[in-house]
Amino acid sequence: MLNMSDTQNAIREEAKKALESRGVTLVIGWGAGSVPFKTTPVFINKSEDVDKLVWNPACVNNLAVYLPKLAKNSRVGIVAKPCDIRSIVTLIQEKQVKRDNLFIIGLGCRGVVDAQNLEDQDFHLQDVLAIDWVEARLKVTTTSGEHLLECSDCLREMCLVCTKRTPAIYDVSLGEAVEPVEVKGCALPELPEERRKYWSEQFAKCIRCYACRQVCPNCYCEQCFADRIEPKWTAKKATTEESWMFHATRAMHLAGRCIGCGECSRVCPVDIPVAELMSEMSRLVEKKYGYQAGDPDEELPVLGQYKQDDVDPAQHGG
Amino acid sequence: MTEQTLTQEPEIAEAPKTGEWQPTILGILCNWCSYAGADLAGSARLKYPETIRIVRVPCSGRVDPMFVLKGFQKGFDGVMVLGCHPGDCHYAKGNYYARRRIALVKDLLATLGIPEERFHFEWVSASEGNRFAQLVAEFTDKIRKLGPFAGVGAK
Amino acid sequence: MPDKVLTKSNIKEFLGFLLVRFSVVAPVPGKEGPAEFREIGSDDEPILDGSKMMLPPKDYLLPRYEVLLRVTKDKEQTKVESTLPEDKPRVILGMWLPDAQGIQVLDRVYLSGKFTDPYYGARRKNSLLVAVVPERPRWSWFCGSVDDVETWKPNVEAIMYDLGDRYYIEQTSDKGAPLVEGSFLADPIDADIAKKNEVWDRFKNHSILGFADKKLYENLSWEDPIWAEIADKCIGCGMCSYTCPTCTCFDIQDETCGSCTDRYRCRDTCQFEDFTLMGAGHNPRHNQLPRSRQRLLHKFQYQHEQYGIVGCTGCGRCVELCPVNVDIRDILNRVCSRKREEEAPA
Repeated sequence: MLNMSDTQNAIREEAKKALESRGVTLVIGWGAGSVPFKTTPVFINKSEDVDKLVWNPACVNNLAVYLPKLAKNSRVGIVAKPCDIRSIVTLIQEKQVKRDNLFIIGLGCRGVVDAQNLEDQDFHLQDVLAIDWVEARLKVTTTSGEHLLECSDCLREMCLVCTKRTPAIYDVSLGEAVEPVEVKGCALPELPEERRKYWSEQFAKCIRCYACRQVCPNCYCEQCFADRIEPKWTAKKATTEESWMFHATRAMHLAGRCIGCGECSRVCPVDIPVAELMSEMSRLVEKKYGYQAGDPDEELPVLGQYKQDDVDPAQHGG
Repeated sequence: MTEQTLTQEPEIAEAPKTGEWQPTILGILCNWCSYAGADLAGSARLKYPETIRIVRVPCSGRVDPMFVLKGFQKGFDGVMVLGCHPGDCHYAKGNYYARRRIALVKDLLATLGIPEERFHFEWVSASEGNRFAQLVAEFTDKIRKLGPFAGVGAK
Repeated sequence: MPDKVLTKSNIKEFLGFLLVRFSVVAPVPGKEGPAEFREIGSDDEPILDGSKMMLPPKDYLLPRYEVLLRVTKDKEQTKVESTLPEDKPRVILGMWLPDAQGIQVLDRVYLSGKFTDPYYGARRKNSLLVAVVPERPRWSWFCGSVDDVETWKPNVEAIMYDLGDRYYIEQTSDKGAPLVEGSFLADPIDADIAKKNEVWDRFKNHSILGFADKKLYENLSWEDPIWAEIADKCIGCGMCSYTCPTCTCFDIQDETCGSCTDRYRCRDTCQFEDFTLMGAGHNPRHNQLPRSRQRLLHKFQYQHEQYGIVGCTGCGRCVELCPVNVDIRDILNRVCSRKREEEAPA
């Protein structure tokens, strides 16, 4: 099995080739973070800098978020996991970026690690020296020894339910996909009133930092509905009702577009399961219309089309 | 559905008593069919509950899911969206797009725990004044039985 | 001033003792997510050892949403009411020492100068601040790099050091006497004092970084190339500002419903695109570069110029929570080491 450092070298090679001979002016990828259990987005425009690119279990960020701005008028290379690539597919579909302006270095994936999940383990984060996959477990090397963690203890939440681990589109495909050991489902309360209370408690925590929105590649609107004051769809104050309106509307806006990377849940400072709500809408779209978000064979967004035999939600009689 | 002449009043299951809580219902009606139908109910002097607040839009395809969500956020006890029958849209296709949007709004409401009985979506044509009045009466009745909506933020 | 030791098994007694005379504010865990400061009752189980991520005490002193005044209009008259929070004796327990120091920055902004904020003042004036130093500092803290933390001690009324099965309570100002009264408290023995010093030294010497000996406010410049680097990856959310113990920007909005209008204050951040957006459409900080530059220059330079205090206390939340790993320690290190290189004799 290919190990990650082989893939890392291949990424650097491809990035170098892209910059030198494929007309690419910038490569977006992950670089070493300020601590061993994080990475950070890097923007490489010189081929001598490609050694900054890394590929390790901490490569969480969905880098497609930078494309609408950076790939507007120039050819940009991007190192992308399968979920990131599904975001790229939706951006192409929605005409935010042209396929010709992209050089996609696609990667087979086994899930990525949410640094916050490493907090409550039996080692201290400041003692961590490196993290790496060893077969199906995450090996955390610290100053006091090695610790092995199960996937379910450290992976980003949406990775636990992800079965699409190969790139849908790419110019180069590297690395190897590893299917999940088990697929965890999400559990919302059954009864409507319990569900209503559940979400009411979750949205009461919301501080309206908009990290979930900013990190999402599909939230590229130049003026978000939440920032409008005429009409004021939702006020700026972080009360439960206003935050409910923000998240409910955003869920509607992402229906059939959210590809379920789970970055929104990862970045939420108050642990609201945003991704559960957003990706639920895409799951329902798939069930109702057979439409998969991030499917490169779809030409139009799901709400931008209709079929004569669409399920009719009309009721008859009050 | 039984044939009803314009002079026949729709049945209202329970007449409201004064002082009792009345539901507040938001109705979003498309101009060419359902709003005209409501207008017809009015000009025929058909009685239907005063619980409904009607907002007129050009087409059911104009109905932004946000309108429905905003209604519940602001505390309406029930929300109703009415449009032209498929095939009869004044703008040819508007209601086809509405079908998908409204179906997904219903799913979203279910995911968020808003009881599906509080949202109603139906096709009502311009000639169906009687049916409109009946609809509002029945929906009001249903909401009255459900009680006031606790609100999206209530714990 | 006498120090005392509180065995953790006596926590309920300790809280009960304080609850008789004070409103007690402490971090309380919620439904997943970080703990938040709020007033507690005798049934609550606050987190007093500073061991978990929590939102800063600024969220109690300056609530995220606060109605400043309410205008109601009827046929006869127009009524304007403003309700100040109750100015009652409070004790704020369980805050990290960098958060307690952060309150010093809030005090400069809201209570110094000609205009003082009465809403903030009502909550702050009669509040005793009690900081906690956990057994091990959080990995992201860098307090010792931004300031001499010994000078922080008199800014709180007492410090609780977590010694494992007990707390060492050090009264650090005259007003802190109520924290060391109570018959359930013991006098410290030599072993307690030694352990407490160990805990303090671990905190004090934690994460002394390359910029520690430099005056940060002198090193950051308008033209620094680092702003572009940050702006490239910063996605412009409000996470850093909203979770920061010293960031104070707010928006004031009027909301009318029928014949009643509320004027309220809510959070805002210089990192949002529309923060400097003007009515005619002009936006002086129209992309991320000026916004990132603004935040850091404000924290490390302007606030020092204005108030003589650096606007960062090293609590590390921005370091831990930033979605794209913009690490302020890294930035300051690089800026200062570059300055050192420039200034080094050729």
